[in-house]
Amino acid sequence: MTKVLGKKELESWLNSIMQERILVAPKRVDDLVLFTPVHSVDEIAFDFQNTTLSPKELFFPRTETLFTIVHKDGEIEFTPVTVDRETVLFGIRPCDARGIAILDGPYLSDPPDSLWAQHRDKTTLIGLACAKPAPQCFCTSMGSSPTDTSNVDILLTEVDDGYAVEIVTEKGEKLLQGAELKESDVKPSVPQCDASVPAEGIVDAVKRAFEDPYWSRLADRCIHCNICAYVCPTCYCFDIRDYKAGGKIERIRTWESCQSKGFSRIAGGYDPRANKGSRLRQRFCHKLLYFPEQFGPLGCVGCGRCVTACPVNIDIREIISDIQERGAQVGQRSN
Amino acid sequence: MEADFTSQIREKARELLEKGTVECVIGYETGSDGVSARPSFIYNPSEVERLVFDNTCSHNLVKYLLDKKGKPTAIVVKGCDSRALNLLLSEKQLQRDQIFIIGVVCPGVVEWGWNRRSEQFQKRCDLCRQHTPLVYDLLIGTPVTEEPPPEFTDIAEMSARATEERASFWREQAERCLRCYACRQACPGCYCIDCFVEQLDPEWVGIRIATGENLMWNTIRAFHLAGRCIACNECERVCPVNLPLSLLNRKLEEEMLELFDYRAGMSEDATAPLITFIKEEKLGIGE
Ligand code: SF4
Ligand code: SF4
Ligand code: SF4
Ligand code: SF4
Ligand code: SF4
Repeated sequence: MTKVLGKKELESWLNSIMQERILVAPKRVDDLVLFTPVHSVDEIAFDFQNTTLSPKELFFPRTETLFTIVHKDGEIEFTPVTVDRETVLFGIRPCDARGIAILDGPYLSDPPDSLWAQHRDKTTLIGLACAKPAPQCFCTSMGSSPTDTSNVDILLTEVDDGYAVEIVTEKGEKLLQGAELKESDVKPSVPQCDASVPAEGIVDAVKRAFEDPYWSRLADRCIHCNICAYVCPTCYCFDIRDYKAGGKIERIRTWESCQSKGFSRIAGGYDPRANKGSRLRQRFCHKLLYFPEQFGPLGCVGCGRCVTACPVNIDIREIISDIQERGAQVGQRSN
Repeated sequence: MEADFTSQIREKARELLEKGTVECVIGYETGSDGVSARPSFIYNPSEVERLVFDNTCSHNLVKYLLDKKGKPTAIVVKGCDSRALNLLLSEKQLQRDQIFIIGVVCPGVVEWGWNRRSEQFQKRCDLCRQHTPLVYDLLIGTPVTEEPPPEFTDIAEMSARATEERASFWREQAERCLRCYACRQACPGCYCIDCFVEQLDPEWVGIRIATGENLMWNTIRAFHLAGRCIACNECERVCPVNLPLSLLNRKLEEEMLELFDYRAGMSEDATAPLITFIKEEKLGIGE
């Protein structure tokens, strides 16, 4: 038997969530679909392939204050920022949920990032399985799937009379208390991604292809914007600065990306990744080599956002295939 | 016609590479979706078959010439792109004798995205006054008599709004800006070694990705392109969150035309008003 939440029952459940917590859900803004705090169910977009920007922003906001310092009567008062309100994130796709989960690697390993930890702790994830994966999606090749329950608290899958509900964690179970679930014998469909990418063995292939002129040829086309990093659920770089405002000092962090010029420039003006090829290579080496070496999983979950958002069509799926081929050639030569 | 343009571009590219006239030909190839074009860099005569020209070739490739300084390079340009060439030549950023220009009489480009191609011309193409490149070494296609469309119909509605209404419109837009700087990176006129937005001393704009800072970023960038923007609209095309940047740029284009009777990029030895000081000039300020 499958637990099902009818459309009406889903609405009243979401309404009751909104009373006590912040509900963040996909919302249409012109041609975009963005995760936004919503105050009524009408605002929520249910029919979307994936959001324009990833939900990482809930855990790693584009701009976030880390702490404030006040200088008072010769004393220094240090106040770290805390996350107080409980948030429910509705409509996260399985690929993005995996993206958040793998970022626990860098953010929660010792010493843990306190704000990331608090955001994680205070947020409940209601996943929405993908009924129709988009042509750019390749989650199935990257360790997830359109119906993957692994990284959410609850997974909803659309069925004829509402949503099939899979309760994954205790947090999810708690959130569902009071929801009017019914039992049904519907069987949710299990869609697959069209695109498949030869990701197996990519770590070694990238290592072998490190010095390949491929990177500088590819980078000819790259305009070194920060789009790919900012749309990506698994890019987690930031810049830090202190600002003085109204007698206090605030330390803030904002998104940054390895594709920007200032990213690798060090004191004295030296830039170890000054040329286009080495700069672009960093993106793919981090995702496909350094990240897995350090934390286990590949640093890409196959959401396909960079594929569609890159203004010059630098397509990670194509790169994975090319590098497999070239890495194999290099492998043969050196054997 | 597309096939014909494509074959002429390939033929010229092959010749230039075989003879060693240029090191690289910058043109377009079909992207990973099989539907739309992307920039292409061809170094070898055996690769010229990759080159294509179709109605998704909207990228302004001229920016890439800045990465090729000192290296003889051929480039495919449309009418609007040729104005970018003129801009960079007049600002002494490029050397004319290092560039072989393959000009294409532009049939217009359509609205498209990854895996999506419409039949609808881009708004800027409906308003285009320069289908035939202004500067070229080889021209592909037959020059057309330009019948200028009515000016600035695209910004009329915005210009007519009340100041407060415009301000709140832009605040709303700026709130969405990610400061990814793709608009700047794509823009042929944005080539400063240190962009004001990243300068530290003085720090003109803080690093917060937030409405106030974003507004500052978007407006100052527009001002830095006043009298320099050649309306290729690359900034708007690449913006991942669809900011209607052309509304800002086109407004300034209109002002430049009104105040100085000047359009950017029309000739390679133009003197741009905002980098020229004429003693007698009066702008009605403080008079
Ligand atoms: S790969 Fe694409 S999105 Fe990423 S920096 Fe380069 S041009 Fe921008
Ligand atoms: S690298 Fe691209 S496809 Fe992979 S997770 Fe990031 S945005 Fe998605
Ligand atoms: S790919 Fe670049 S921006 Fe993304 S996490 Fe790695 S270093 Fe940071
Ligand atoms: S603006 Fe003119 S030259 Fe440029 S792409 Fe459009 S029609 Fe072609
Ligand atoms: S491209 Fe768009 S989002 Fe990026 S900085 Fe420019 S206006 Fe902002």
